[in-house]
Amino acid sequence: MREQREVIIMTLYEKIYKWLDDRFKLGELLPPIVKHPAPVNVVSNPLYCLGGTAFLCFLILVVTGMFLAFYYKPTPDEAYKSVQNIMTAVPLGSLIRSIHHWAANTMIAAVMLHMIRIYFMGAYKKPRELNWVVGIFLLLTVTTFGFSGYLLPWDQLALWATKIGTGIAGSIPIIGGYISLILVGGNDIGAETMTRFFAIHVLILPAAIITLLGLHFLMVRIQGISGRL
Amino acid sequence: MALIEIEREEAVEEKEREPVRVTGLPFFPHFLLREVVVMCLIAGSLILLASLYPAGLLQPADPFTTPTPIYPEWYFLYVFGFLKFWTYDIGPIPAKVIGVTVPMVLWYGLLILVPFIDRNPSTELRKRKIAVALGVIALIAVLVLTYYGIVHGE
Repeated sequence: MREQREVIIMTLYEKIYKWLDDRFKLGELLPPIVKHPAPVNVVSNPLYCLGGTAFLCFLILVVTGMFLAFYYKPTPDEAYKSVQNIMTAVPLGSLIRSIHHWAANTMIAAVMLHMIRIYFMGAYKKPRELNWVVGIFLLLTVTTFGFSGYLLPWDQLALWATKIGTGIAGSIPIIGGYISLILVGGNDIGAETMTRFFAIHVLILPAAIITLLGLHFLMVRIQGISGRL
Repeated sequence: MALIEIEREEAVEEKEREPVRVTGLPFFPHFLLREVVVMCLIAGSLILLASLYPAGLLQPADPFTTPTPIYPEWYFLYVFGFLKFWTYDIGPIPAKVIGVTVPMVLWYGLLILVPFIDRNPSTELRKRKIAVALGVIALIAVLVLTYYGIVHGE
C-alpha cells in the first residue's frame, strides 16, 4: 500500500518536472547552477558567510518591512501613534519591528565586515574591479536605508539624529545644499521630510538595492568567487 | 541546535567522501547546506536579540526640546567624530567643510577607487604590505573616530 503511494508521488513529481522541462528546458538550466563548483576553502572558511548573512538580513528586512508598512502612517501627527500601536496593540508587532531593527543593524555590520574581508583578501583585483565598485554603492545604499528608516518612528531620537545627519550632508561643498533640500523638502524637518524619507525608504532605495544586488550576484556568477588559499 | 550539529557532521562527511582531484565542491548541496546552517543561526540570533532587546521608542518628536546627549547612528559616528575632531581651517576652506568632505566624499571616493589604485596583482598578504598597512590604518582610524564621536556627543 505504502509502496504504491510512493510510486504515485514519484510519478506526480516526474510529471511536474517533465511539464516544466518541456517548457523551460530545466535539464539544461539547472545542472550548471546546482553543480557549480565553489572552492573548498570557501565552503570551510566562515569568513565567506558575511555576504550571505547580509543577503539573509535583506530578505528578513523585506518581509518585516512589508508587515510594518501595513500599520505605519507616514505623517507627523500619526507616525508616532502608529508605531506605538505596532509596539503595544498589533499581534507580534513588537517582535516584528524589533527584528526589523536588529536585522538592519546586522546587515550594515555584515556589509562592512564583508568589505573588510574582500579588502584584506585582495578579492577586488582584476577581473573583479567593477564588482567592488558595485559593492561600495551597496554600502552607500544600505547606510542610506538605515538613515532614512531612523526618522520614520518620529520620536526624539528620530528627529534629532536626522537633524545632525541632514546638517552634515548639507555642509558638503557645492552639492550639499541640494542634497539637504531634496531630503528635507524645506527649511525645517517636518511633514515634507517625513513623506520624502518614507518614499526613499520604501520605494527608491528598494529599487536601487535590488538592481545593485542583481549586478553584484550576476558578476559573482560570471566570474566565480575569488578562491584565495 | 542538535539538528544543526548533525547537519554539520554530515557536511564534513560528504566533503571527505569527495575525490581528492576535485578542487571545487558543488553549489548544491555542499555550499547551500552550509549557507542554510548559517542562515538558521543568524535568524535565531535575530529573534533572540529582538526578544531580549526590543527596538526602542523615545518621547514623541519635539522640535523645541533638544535631548542630551544626541548621537547619529553608529555607522555615521566616525563622520560625526571627524567633524568634532577637525577644527582647523585650511586657507579659505572652513574647518566644517573639511570635517564633512573628508569622511564622506573623499573617503567614499577613495573606497570606490581602491581596485584602480592598487594595481598589484598579488593576493598574498605578505606580498602587498602597503595595501595591508593602509587598510589597517584606515580601520583603526575609523574605530578611533567612532570612539571620539561617542565621547563628544552633543
